[in-house]
Amino acid sequence: MADFTLDEDQKQIQDMMRKFAEKELRPIARDCDEEDKLPADLLEKVWELGFCPNIIPEKYGGYDMGRSALNAAIMVEELAWGDASLAIGALSPLLMAVPILEFGTEEQKEEWLPKFCGEKFYPATAALMERRITFEPTDLHTTVEMEKEVMVLNGAKCLVPLADQAEQILVYAATAKGAGAAAIEAVIVDRNTPGVTIGEREKNMGFKPLPLFPVTFKDVEVPMTRRLGGNKGIQFMRLLNLSRANLCAMAVGVSRASNEYAIKYAKERFAFGEPIASRQAVAWMLGESAIEVAGMRLMVWRTAWRLDRNEDATRDAGLTKMYCADKTMLITDYGVQVLGGHGYIREHPVELWFRNGRGFDTMEGLAIG
Amino acid sequence: MNILVCIKQVPDTESQIKIDSGGKGIQTADIKWVMNPYDEFGVEEALRIKEKTGGKVTVIGVGPQRVVESLRTALAMGADEAIHVDDPAADGGDALATARVLAGSVKDVPFDLIFCGQRAVDDDNAQVGAALSELLQIPLLSVITKVEISDDKAKVKVQRPVEGATWVFEAPLPALITTQKGLNEPRYASLPGIMKAKKKPLSAKKLGDLGLSPDQAGLQGSKLTIKGLTPPPERKAGKIIEGETAQEKGTILVKLLREEAKII
Repeated sequence: MADFTLDEDQKQIQDMMRKFAEKELRPIARDCDEEDKLPADLLEKVWELGFCPNIIPEKYGGYDMGRSALNAAIMVEELAWGDASLAIGALSPLLMAVPILEFGTEEQKEEWLPKFCGEKFYPATAALMERRITFEPTDLHTTVEMEKEVMVLNGAKCLVPLADQAEQILVYAATAKGAGAAAIEAVIVDRNTPGVTIGEREKNMGFKPLPLFPVTFKDVEVPMTRRLGGNKGIQFMRLLNLSRANLCAMAVGVSRASNEYAIKYAKERFAFGEPIASRQAVAWMLGESAIEVAGMRLMVWRTAWRLDRNEDATRDAGLTKMYCADKTMLITDYGVQVLGGHGYIREHPVELWFRNGRGFDTMEGLAIG
Repeated sequence: MNILVCIKQVPDTESQIKIDSGGKGIQTADIKWVMNPYDEFGVEEALRIKEKTGGKVTVIGVGPQRVVESLRTALAMGADEAIHVDDPAADGGDALATARVLAGSVKDVPFDLIFCGQRAVDDDNAQVGAALSELLQIPLLSVITKVEISDDKAKVKVQRPVEGATWVFEAPLPALITTQKGLNEPRYASLPGIMKAKKKPLSAKKLGDLGLSPDQAGLQGSKLTIKGLTPPPERKAGKIIEGETAQEKGTILVKLLREEAKII
């Protein structure tokens, strides 16, 4: 009934991504955080791992090795363990590629998917979140009016990754304000279309290397051919669930990073003649964090497994999102706490993970796989 | 060109090594096994040569079932085929016994070039490559940081760094090269590479298939036996020099180096 054995591919993916994260992401994570930068050569390095062509069918130029939310979760946990901001930035093309694979019409797949199979990083992104009091992703106020030949977009989005360089933005918009998930459409918008304005880069507490932008749409006219899924449209909740599974897997990676670091520190740091890890007050924090990391991962894997079976994973994804966001805050806070005063200074990475970990509660739709 | 790469699976350098109860081996329960890093240079170099000249890269590993994981890693990086000598009688051999097994496993495989790591990071023995070249009667180019194949693919020119200089050697092919750090930066296996790896041919061989008897390989075929393993001595605690100023600390340090450590 249940099996948690990783198959050969998954083990190799995990090993390789861990190695990549350790050698390519960890060494630059601090500098990128201090300098708010997402290095272009890193985007290319991650691109070379072939995460896009791997899941795109051969007839569109990919390798068609099968797409799996579980494989994606295994992959991004490792990358986020290296650095979540860099991982989200480098994987941002999936924000457009995956929805097209899920719901694109044949014509849309033929038009767009080959662009994700080239040798160079293809910048593409998605705009979901809106800066409103609820931050509720199913209650969108950005609207799309369907006319005969064109669609007209109006509204304001925030936290759009790489909007400054993405050629195309997949915009989520509702046919009627507040009509819920069923009324949400996805529209592929060329960023140079009149009426599209990319605002000034946002300044956030965490995920500093990740370029996030507000984007506004004023009477933006888009040809009908760019309505994702054509007349059938999309099933928004499926995309949101895929995104939640993926983001939560990243939360697991960040939490694990903090917990591992705190454990190592607590075993090496001596006070009153013994390692601080042998003090119960410290040991409990470390133990609780380890339990929660394992629990979060199980929830992510079950959600991903549901998604891979094409089941409705809305409930699982929702619970997982809440749980992971909550526990990531706790675990990354403990990471800082275990290091005491040292945890608060930038010499150690726990404060970075704490700032990034805080963001999972707010963020939606920033990763998908 | 047909290129062979010999791969040894070794404990990850991050793994904590503990000696087992027998005192002649290590506890393997919690060990994470990886491809010997020097062998990874060999795989990378073989792939680069193949990309230039065409041909085929075959990787060979000796050892228990887990070795398949490292062979798959090489296939995921881009190697074409793998040979796995999976025979308990071949395990635990010294360098010469292992070289015999490797020589046996390539007897029916055409090759122009063989790569071995200059040493394995677990036992630091650094002899398998040399022994294999001797058994195959081909030139040995050891501890190499640069490899150039001649245009007619008949010769290889290589570089070995030595203290303050570089030696340049040339040898006719086929030849055996042992790799040194600096040769290249091994690539990461791509995701499609990983997924394709399981469809690539991986043949399992027994000693009998290689024309070897059990007394030529493994423990039985070894001239070297391990008598015992001891952990390195624990590092003594360091000494922190107390003092108000750097100058004062320096004075104390010099005094200690002279009187206590007796090295100046």
